[in-house]
Amino acid sequence: MSDHFFGFRKAFDHPVTIGIAVTVAALLAATPVILAILGAGGRLDAKHRDELWKRYFSWLVLVPAMLGPVLLGAAWTIAGVAVLSLACYREYARATGLFRERSISVVVVLGTLVVAFASADHWYELFLAMFPITVACIAITGIFPDRPQGYIQRVALGVLGFALFGAALGHLGYFANDRNYRPILLTLIVLVELNDIFAYIAGRLFGKRKLAPNTSPGKAVAGCLGALVATTALTVLLAHLTFAGTPLDAPLPLLVLGVMISVVGQFGDLVLSSIKRDLGIKDMGAVIPGHGGLLDRFDSLLLVAPAVFHYLAYFVGVGAGQPHRIFSGG
Amino acid sequence: MKDWKLQPARDLGLPAEQRWRSLHRENGLLETITQGFWRVLTRGYLCTYHRLSVSGREYLPAAPPMVLIANHASHLDALCLAASLPSALRERVLPVAAGDTFFETPTQAAFSAFLLNALPMWRKNCGRHALDELRRRLIDEPCGYILFPEGTRSRDGEMLPFKAGLGMLVAGTAVPVVPCRIDGAFDACPPHARVPRPKRIQVRIGPHLEFADLPQNRDGWEVVRARCEEAVRALAAQSTLIAQPTPQETKRRGT
Repeated sequence: MSDHFFGFRKAFDHPVTIGIAVTVAALLAATPVILAILGAGGRLDAKHRDELWKRYFSWLVLVPAMLGPVLLGAAWTIAGVAVLSLACYREYARATGLFRERSISVVVVLGTLVVAFASADHWYELFLAMFPITVACIAITGIFPDRPQGYIQRVALGVLGFALFGAALGHLGYFANDRNYRPILLTLIVLVELNDIFAYIAGRLFGKRKLAPNTSPGKAVAGCLGALVATTALTVLLAHLTFAGTPLDAPLPLLVLGVMISVVGQFGDLVLSSIKRDLGIKDMGAVIPGHGGLLDRFDSLLLVAPAVFHYLAYFVGVGAGQPHRIFSGG
Repeated sequence: MKDWKLQPARDLGLPAEQRWRSLHRENGLLETITQGFWRVLTRGYLCTYHRLSVSGREYLPAAPPMVLIANHASHLDALCLAASLPSALRERVLPVAAGDTFFETPTQAAFSAFLLNALPMWRKNCGRHALDELRRRLIDEPCGYILFPEGTRSRDGEMLPFKAGLGMLVAGTAVPVVPCRIDGAFDACPPHARVPRPKRIQVRIGPHLEFADLPQNRDGWEVVRARCEEAVRALAAQSTLIAQPTPQETKRRGT
């Protein structure tokens, strides 16, 4: 049991985990060299270079913060996801003004904490039930101020907030119940982040036509397609290694998984862009220098987490053969 | 159906340190919880160690806006006033504290923002601009302020003359100004003391004043200043705490 929650000695049991960790470390080590060469060759103007350096230093903090908990154990993973969910909700609530409705925020926070408990407990029924239960509680809580003006707004904002950050992002934490959660989560996180980077690079190199100029002026169709090809190829390779010998390990299911991660990841990005455009703000916060708020960085993960979770659950099951309801019994 | 009105936090997008020092800072759930704990702790401390007693609560307006003013002799003063408020007002009345004492270092700023819920007033370059922003927030939000118009803590317990800044804030507005008198805080925790002494503290709240008909100019500010100072002095005269003359007073009486 404590091995499951805190067994960091098993961190590198799976070859895919080792491969990803080594690759990411190598990328982080190589980036300053590349930036220095580009800078020396005069290929980058000063402003652009400073911006890239700032982003790079943020990655130096972000990467250990994202991968560290997954390597350390299930307890850290679930706690890390819960903290991320709450921090993302905070940014969203401040940006939409929902934070002024304290009681609805309390319900969303409690719902998120119960989702984290259900993940730690490996209690799938509770994990699923928390969505309708929390939605009902938000709708009920909205009544209490006895102020029908703005009822639909505060309840709808609360439900969207819980759906995106409590429920959807919570799937990342539930993955920790799987025997293979380290390679799965590392693959997922790294691919989604690389997907963003691929889109950025491909967009800058070949981008002419805008993807959705009103929603996100920076995105190009070429970037989207480039990311689709690169991410799908990488996914097929990594998932083939992780899921060898399972029903998922066939060309079509692997291909669909890759397309899913890339396309849904980019949709998550566009969802957040739409929210920001609607509010008329550029960034959701200023927590990460060079990136903006946490949500500006983790937007792509929001929708990928549940999509991949249920796709994997269909083919191989998540948490199969692991003890159920560890704390609650039953 | 009413149109949706999405109002982002007014301090959105500010880096943490700037946010703590911002006059537009708005609390979230996290701050509500930490400040709730802090208030329970300070109230418990004041009520037991200093046997805090409060009279005149009925004079407090039911809802913001409002400005609470009092004499200032100790760091306990703002805590005493905050502890005198009914629960409906507690989170909506913010102490205005000296920027150079409470917001200088990042640690101080975080403490003042997270626990005291204070807003900074920079004494060196406190221009019209900062006061205008404070007034806008006071009326638009609306919220309440705890202010010490003497501008600094009295070094001998005697109340100093009030400053005109209060007038710039409220002259020509319908914001009620509630005069308060704090007795005993100087003996409990004078500026030179390191550890507070277990002396009794008394807060007396008086009927509020309004300055809607005064002009926003030097004359108006001066009237506000004088009437507020007079109101706080009048409350002092009603003190039921046995007045313990300060050394300076004793000396003065002797001569």
